[in-house]
Parts: sequence; C-alpha cells; structure tokens
Amino acid sequence: MSAAAQNADHSHDEHHHDDHHPGFLQKYFFSTDHKTIGIQYGLVSLLFLLVGFFLMMVMRWSIAYPHEPLPQWMSFLFSEDWKARWLQDGMVKGETYNMFGAMHGTIMVFLGVVPLGFAAFGNYIMPLQIGAIDMAFPKLNMWSFWLYFVGGLTMLASFFLNTGAAQSGWTNYSPLAGIQQSGAPNQWMTGQTWWLLAMVFLISSSLLGSVNFITTIINLRAKGMTWMRLPFFVWAMLVTGFLLLLAFPPLEAAALMQLSDRVFGSSFFMPTGLVTGNGALEVAGSGSPLLYQHLFWFLGHPEVYVLLLPAIACVAEIIPCNTRKPLWGYRPMVWSVIVLGFLSFIVWAHHMYLTGMGPVISTFFQTTTVLISIPSVILLTSLIISMWGGSIRFTVPMLWATAFIPMFGIGGLTGLPLAFNLVGLHLHDTYYVIGHFHYVVAPGILFGLFAGVYHWYPKITGRYMNNLLGHLHFWPSLIFINLLFFPMLVQGMAGFHRRWYNGGDAYLAQASESANVFGNTVEQYLPLNITMSNAAFLLALAQVPFIINVFFAWRRGKKVENDNPWNATTLEWATPTPPGHGNFTFDVGVYRGPYEYSRPDAEEDYLPQWNEPSKTEPESAPSKEESNPTVA
Amino acid sequence: MDIPYTVTPRKDTGLYNAKVGIWLFLASEVMLFGGLFSGYVFLRVYADFPWPERSLPIVPGLINTFILIGSSVTVVFAWAALKMRKWRQFQVYMVITLLCAALFMVLKGIEYKAKWTHQAVRMKDFVVVEGHNHKFTIDSKGKIEHYPAGGHGGEGHAHHDLEKNGMFLIADKDESAGDKSKGKKDKHYYNKVVFNGDSVTIDLERFYDPIVQDLMAQAQKQGSKMKLTQSIIGRPNHKVAEETLASEGDLLSLGLLKELRAVHLDAKAHNAKIRTKQNRDAWARLRKDLPKEMRGEPSYKIKNDLELDPEFDKFIVATTSSLTFNIEPTVTFVLKPRSVRESAESASFMDGTLLSGAMDSKHSQIEMAADAIDFRFVAQRAEEKGIDPEVAIQNTWLMKNNPKVKELWAQHNKHIEKFEAELLKKHGRGKDGNPTHVPTDTERYRIGWQELVNMGEGKEMMGVFSGFAGPVHELDKEAKKSHYSRHFPEIVVPREEVNLESKFTPRWNNYYAIYFLITGLHGLHVVGGIIVLGYFLVFGKKMYLNNPERLANRVEVGGLFWHFVDLVWIFLFPILYLM
Repeated sequence: MSAAAQNADHSHDEHHHDDHHPGFLQKYFFSTDHKTIGIQYGLVSLLFLLVGFFLMMVMRWSIAYPHEPLPQWMSFLFSEDWKARWLQDGMVKGETYNMFGAMHGTIMVFLGVVPLGFAAFGNYIMPLQIGAIDMAFPKLNMWSFWLYFVGGLTMLASFFLNTGAAQSGWTNYSPLAGIQQSGAPNQWMTGQTWWLLAMVFLISSSLLGSVNFITTIINLRAKGMTWMRLPFFVWAMLVTGFLLLLAFPPLEAAALMQLSDRVFGSSFFMPTGLVTGNGALEVAGSGSPLLYQHLFWFLGHPEVYVLLLPAIACVAEIIPCNTRKPLWGYRPMVWSVIVLGFLSFIVWAHHMYLTGMGPVISTFFQTTTVLISIPSVILLTSLIISMWGGSIRFTVPMLWATAFIPMFGIGGLTGLPLAFNLVGLHLHDTYYVIGHFHYVVAPGILFGLFAGVYHWYPKITGRYMNNLLGHLHFWPSLIFINLLFFPMLVQGMAGFHRRWYNGGDAYLAQASESANVFGNTVEQYLPLNITMSNAAFLLALAQVPFIINVFFAWRRGKKVENDNPWNATTLEWATPTPPGHGNFTFDVGVYRGPYEYSRPDAEEDYLPQWNEPSKTEPESAPSKEESNPTVA
Repeated sequence: MDIPYTVTPRKDTGLYNAKVGIWLFLASEVMLFGGLFSGYVFLRVYADFPWPERSLPIVPGLINTFILIGSSVTVVFAWAALKMRKWRQFQVYMVITLLCAALFMVLKGIEYKAKWTHQAVRMKDFVVVEGHNHKFTIDSKGKIEHYPAGGHGGEGHAHHDLEKNGMFLIADKDESAGDKSKGKKDKHYYNKVVFNGDSVTIDLERFYDPIVQDLMAQAQKQGSKMKLTQSIIGRPNHKVAEETLASEGDLLSLGLLKELRAVHLDAKAHNAKIRTKQNRDAWARLRKDLPKEMRGEPSYKIKNDLELDPEFDKFIVATTSSLTFNIEPTVTFVLKPRSVRESAESASFMDGTLLSGAMDSKHSQIEMAADAIDFRFVAQRAEEKGIDPEVAIQNTWLMKNNPKVKELWAQHNKHIEKFEAELLKKHGRGKDGNPTHVPTDTERYRIGWQELVNMGEGKEMMGVFSGFAGPVHELDKEAKKSHYSRHFPEIVVPREEVNLESKFTPRWNNYYAIYFLITGLHGLHVVGGIIVLGYFLVFGKKMYLNNPERLANRVEVGGLFWHFVDLVWIFLFPILYLM
C-alpha cells in the first residue's frame, strides 16, 4: 500500500506530475476517476428519476380524470404527431397508459434508483471510505457508466418507435410481453424488443460495476482497515455488489429467451394452444410462462434489496454523525446485512403465489419471506436505538434520515401481510401492493438517498446546500408523499386493481352486476384518486427547491470551513475538498473503528479513523480493537 | 498514480486484483448458464411433445469436446511458458489454443448449417415430416416450374422418373443460401405461398417499405402495373384548400405513399388538436357551471352532462388512411409463408397491406424429400386421450392420402414386430409375464433416415447417405449415376394441412430453441475468448518486455475464463447430445 500512497502523494502535490493533463472530454466525459463517474451516475440517474416521475404524473392524471384531456402543462412536452398517435382526443389511451406504466417502473428501478444508490454513491464514497486511491479497475468503471448510459438512451429512444415503448409492465411477463407488438413487420424495431436489448446493456453495466466494487473492497482497503473497521456503508455496498453480481444473470437468460421468442419465433414462454385476438398463434408451444416468472423474480427480489441497502447505508452514516454517538449494534448490523443478502435469494416466489405453484412451494417461500423480516428489523431497530439519548443535530440530511425510518417502517410492515399466501390471494394486484412497495421505494429509499445527497454534497463541491431550500424540499415532500401513497393502501384493501388505467371505470361498469368480481367496496374510495393525483402533482412542485438547490449551491452555496465540516469520523472526510485525483494527500492508516463519537477519553466528541493514536489513548492492536469498535 | 496489486498479490488476501475480478465474473457466468440450464430442465420436464432425444450428430460434438479440453491444457502451457519467460514457447501454445478454438467454431458452424437447412412440418393431426424442400422457379410470365418435374431438371439436380417408383432425391445443395440467385437465369424458391393478386390495399399509417417494395418488384418483373383505383383529395389542415393529391390511374410508388402519408398524418394531428381543444373547452364549461361544492367531483359522476361544442367540428378535415391499387394484368406473387396470412381470396401482411385475388394452392404445397416420418406426437396424443395409437395413425391425413407412406408404415411395423420378437427372445419375460425389453417410442413410431435407406435399394451403400452432421441429400456425381439416390420418399403436404412448418431452428420446438440459445451463447464466449487470448498473443510483446509478470497474470486470468468455457461445454455435450 505504501507504494500507492506515495504515488497518491505526488499526484496531489504537484497535480498530475506523472499523469498527462487530461483533455476536457477525458476529464468530464470519458473519465476513469471514480469520483467523476460517481457524479456522472448521480446526475444522469436524477434525470431519469425526473423522467419516471413525469410518466407517473400522466398516469395519475388518467386515473383521477379519465374522461378529461391531458392538461396543457403536461401535454406541451409532446409533439403534435405523437399526441395524435397516443392520445384519444387529448385523453390518455389504455395502451399509452400501459406503455407509461411499464416504462415508469423500468426507468425508476433500473435507470433511477439503482444507479443513484449503488453506482453514484457507491462510486463516490466507497473508495474514499476504505482509503483507496481509485477503484480496482478504473477503465471498467468508465465502461460500466457508458453501458448504462447507452442502455438508458435505448429505453428512452423506444418511446419514439412506431410501436411505442414496452407495454407489458416493468416485469414484462410472458406470454404477454412475447406477443406484445408482434404484429409489427420488423420485430427488431419494436419497443418491446428494445426493452430487452436495453436490459442487456444495463445488465452488462451492472456486472462490470459489481465486479469492480467487490474487488475494490476486498483488495484495496488501506492499511489498518480491517473488515470490522469498515464503515457500515461499505458493508452494504459489498452485499449489494454480490446481489447484483449473482441475481442479474438469470434475468439476462430470461431476456435472451424472450428475445428469441420475439424475433426467432421460439416458444420458451409460449404455452401450447395460446389464442389471441388474431386467432391461434403459429408457434410450436409447450413453453412455460412460469419459467419466465421464476427467472424474473430470481432477479426481482434481490433487486429490492439492491434498491434498499444503499439507502440504509447512507442513513447509517448520517445518524451517528448527527447524534454524535457510535452506531448502535454495528456488528449485528453487519451480520444482518449479510444474512439479508443471502435470504433475499430464496424468497423470490412470494411474488408468484397466484400462479398455482402448489402449496408446498408457497409454504417454503412464505417461511423464508417471514424470516427475512428478522434481519430487516434488526437493521431498522439499530438505527432507532442509535438515536436514543443522543444530542441530535437536526441538519437537513438528518431530517431526511430521520424520516426514512418511519417511512421505510410503514413500507416494511405493510409487506408482512403480503408474505402470507392466503392474504396474498386477496391483495394480489391491488393498489395495496402498489402502496406497499412505493412506501419502501419512494419515501423510504429515496428519502435515504436525498439524505445522502445533502450529507455528502459539501465534500463533493466544497459548499453546503442551502438550508431554507432544503426545508422547503423536505416538509412538503413528506406531506405530499404520504397523501399520495397512504390512500393506496386503503383503496387496495377495498379491491382497487393496479391495472385500471381509467380510474375504476371498468369496475363501475360492472358494479351492479353479479359478474363483478371486485365486490362492491371500491366505489366509495374512488374519489381518493383525485386527492392522490393532486398530491402527486404537488409532490412534483416540491422537488423544484431541490433542483434549484443542487445547481445554485454548486457555485453560490456557503463554503465549507474545513475538510470535515460535519466532524465525522470516516475516511472520506480526510481528503481535500473536493478530493483530487488520487484522493488522499497523506499516507492513509486506519487506527480504529468507524463510529468513534463522544469517546470519554478523547478531547473532542469525535475521533476520526485516520488520527494516529495519542499517548493517552489506550490503543490496542488492530485485532483486539476489532473485537468491538462501537464500545470504546 | 498506479492502482496497487495489479501485478503482485496483496498479502492478506493472497490475490491480485484481476484474479479477484475474474472469479467474481465467473460466478456471475455460472448464474447465467445456471439460469439457462434450469430453463432446459424446466422445459424438458414439462414438455408436452416428444422431446427429441439423441437427435444431434454425436461425432462433431465429441470431437469438439476433446478440442476444447486440449485447448484448456495448452492455454495452461502458454501461461507456464510466460512464467518461465519463454516467449517463443508461449506463442506456440497460444497459437495451438486459438487454432483449437477456431476449429471448434468451424465444426459448430457445420452442425448449425445442417440444422437450419433441414425442413420440418407438423401437420394438423400432429404427424411430423422432416426432410429437404423441393425448389421451383418462376419466369417473367408468372409461370411456375417445379424441379425436377418434366425436363427442367438441369445440371446438378437429381432427376428421375416420377412414374416409376415415386422415390426421389431432389433437395438442392444450395438451399441454405435461401432465395439468392446463383447467377443463373431464374431464382430458386423453396416452400412459398403462391398467390395470384389482382388488387392491393395499402394502409398509409402502417405500411412497411420492404413489403411494398417486394410486391412492386415482383409485379414489375412480370410486366404488370399497379394503378390507383380512385383519385385522392385532401388537405393537411383547415387553413388550406382541398386539392387532388393523387389521381386515378397513378402508379404505385413509395414516393407517392410517403407524400400521402405525410398529408394524412398532418391532417390527423390537426384533427386531434381540434378535438382536444373541443374536449378541454367542454370540461372547463362543465366544471364552471357546476355548483361550487360539486366542482371537485370525480369525472365519472358528471361526464354525462358533458356537451361538446359543435362549432369545433367545422375545422375537422377529411383524410384518407388507405389506398387501393389495381394490378393489371394479374401477377403471380411468391410470398414468404410466415410473413403472410393467406386465405382463398386474400393474403394479408403484417403491415396491413392486403392482396386480393386467388390463392394458388397447388403451388403453395410443401413438397419435400422426406428423411423422417414421425408418428410419435400422434401416438402420444392418442394415448393421452385413451385412443389406440395405431388407429390414430391410420386416420391421419398422410396415411390416407399418400399410399407410399402407408406402404412404408406397413413395412416399418413388420420390422418392429420382428424386433419385438428378438428382444423377447434375448431378454425374456419379467415376473409379471410382460417382456422386460420393448421397443422405445422412437423405435416404434419414428421412421428415420437410416430405416428409409434400408427399406429401399441402397442398403449396401449406407455410407453414401451417412453425412458428418446427418443424412446426405445431395450426392456426388458418382453416386447419382446409380439408383441409390432414390431413397427419400416424396411427400407433398397442402398448406391448409400444416399446423407448423419450420427449419430446425429455435422456432421448430423448445429442444432446438434451448439448443441454439445455449450453444450459441457458448459459441459467443468462445469467440470472446479468441479475441482476448488473440489480443495477448498479437499485442502482448510490448508488455512482455516491460512487465512480463503482468502479461502472465493476464494470460492466467484469460486462461481461467477459457477453462470455464470448456467446463460449460462439458455440461452441454451430454445434456444436448447424449441425453
């Protein structure tokens, strides 16, 4: 490590003395520096979140005001030709709603939250926290970003194809997804096919990223950075890396099979005797739609934890720093996150209770699903107890981190009933499910990630984000996001179906008939649609202060006083602000655990990992120190 | 700035970066192929058709197995040579490795080609016929000539007397090249729908250039013209006056279609804009007129009171979305069966183009030299329904309409009876009184190509038919002189009796689908390996001189990947070729 550290020394002191001066393109676009790549990922994924949000607003309009034309403040973004093709007299068509629904899910999950949580934060923070000068494979890192970028562009471009983008839900279940748009003369030019091609890019990107992350954590830790001195953030990234590495490939297999079904006419997922509106399909048959669901959810469920862990990781860094207390239960949290990662691979079929897999398999997955709540609860409880008795600084990042806990809590607890297959029969495909996972992802995960943005922004830019704008972002977001998602749980229990594009019209048409399978409980909750949709539109408004803040503070924000403005203990705060190429200006050594706040024997209320032990500090050998870093 | 541990291992982990990386990458690859292998198991276990067991030629697969194992050894030698700093030796072993990889791909290619030139037909009663297609040509007058019927055999095609025994060998060697003209006068076609079209209707929004172009080219070749049936009058919006966009008798061209499409789409967008305004205006008035406490009502409660303002209708412009052209004189179109849905009077394409006229069902038949007649699917379905398989087989269309097949089946049944007796004699009966060994379903219900040859006159010349990757249809000149080429029976299937027809491609059944997918993906890995290892070989010298250990590490990592590729094949070979 010393050789590397020496090199790092040079490169910072006399900027780029062994390196050539990178050109503009190389510095900002084709950079191999993990920090630049992290920022690239961050900005692009925030843009995709915005796109996904916009798609959702169009959908929410269609649900709340199904018979009214899309208002001008949304429709001005579309061209006249596009509107003529995809809107019916200005109203959202069913196929348009399906398209936006599929792409909302895809964009939010694969292009928004995962790249923001894992790739952006992980890239920027993780190498700094372990005291590395860069990722293990910087060039692969660049490739990873550009593959993601191309995959994202392919997804977006598919909106402009004649067939439109994919229309079979973000899960792209076969046989629906296999025959969707199959009437197009050229199967290679359909949105449904482009979805699969884009996924191949995204999966390759995530493969390169996860190999890089894990290798970096295993091999590039600074001296003294033993496993139990790793910040929890790094542990979470390590587990997330393994999830991406091992869970994505089966989806790639499924995507290739579906691609083959679409363009080569095979029958991987096409059952015998499938009949559509155009008559019997001319395929060999004997395929298995169930196989697709297995392969998809083998990715799909670990993916939930890929979304979640980076958010918990951010919160676990922010809470100790702002309560000035060690993270409570560091060790149990580390073990929990490992167990969580492992269990997440064997719960996937709880998404498939209604497929008729049989009671034995259902029972197995029901059991593992209930089991996985144990490590989740340990994580959340530890975070709550970490705040107990602390003198909490309610900075803006801390506000978001604090809100994360109850919001994610609601998301998690509403998931418990869904784990049981009998309850699943009733709630499957209702808005209860939508409410549940949106509570996990939106006010849960996104709040955690916002906390991260506010927390590390001073390190990235050298300036604080504006406090007032931060509050203007946080409080309305908190209110409107709950107004948006809580009614979903209510509607869902009443039987509101998740695929009704026109806000329950199909239900109303049948409400008086005996054929109405939904019962007669939905109607009284239909007016909630309007509340929820308006909350969604206001939620969009509440993001404006954030967007202003990010760009305004970049140049005009209050400058940080020193390299460690939050008085934190982990290594990213030991770098110059912003960190230069090579990150550290001194030979990094790690002498203690990551959360040494308020040690009675220390002069200040925090003891950074990199401070060499003074004579008064009873420093033990690393192995002994490792035994429990949280208790000093 | 150098990343640490690119060459020397880190002490506590004992690994250099790339080695950690490649093991992680391979773990991911295991999951990818694991997904595909479990897909294979899933599809095979739940298959509702007779899974083609041991239907691939084993020899090429077996040779490939040894080739890959050998190359896995030489890649280790190449790495060891680098470790010992013997550049020349490294080059030699690496070249051997790459040659092995290339040979593997060549054998794979031969095997693939044999598959996707092999026609298969599943009839509506689930009889399966496999073989090679006959070909035909069409001249500029639309007249169709079938090979090898009456005197048009030409050179290079077996050509026999149909009346004599009805057994033929006529498939063309060049069939894989599809419909490409061979520089000869006429194009060769196989397995096509033939349709005499007298008019065509084109959907302006959906038409697909290649489809329209193909129809135009065929019409042109036969000296026919496609003329617009009526004048088109229109305008893009209400601000301009209507004008004649195309007049009756105009010839079909892509330019004309695109011009009309542009006007049509403009008019459609214009109309949509007007309708949207009308709709918005109506809703605004409706909400305004409601009492205050009702303004927030859900739209379904008040939508019945919505009144559209008829003033807006004035701005709506008329528009044409489809055009009809007469084809004069009638053209004999040759169409790809899968791109068209045909009936007696019309043929419709994927892009909404509709041909009207009359189907030429005689020339649309699938004619082939069959190298297998398979009743397994019939038998399986009969057994599921509790019917005697023999009765079901006798009732199939093929048995009723093709006396030659009936004769072959009778002959085959005699063989099976003999075979049953032999088995009984050899293995005896079990405790329950039943024979311990009986013929398998494949033996009982499938007449394969070896048997077809055996039943004919070519028994003693079996080797002639036995190709590297399956039965040989195209014999060399020597063999053709004899009568031995007459052993694949002629089978004609009318298109309306076809349930599914395909080459041996992913489309034919899930066995070939998973076979092509896994071996194709494996083949891509082999190509990837060739590129990476080849890069080390060709561009490695500079790094060898500067930092030989680093190159050795790279080759080691590449070698690990190569071992993985080998290992995948070792799993693939038994499950696809032997089981």
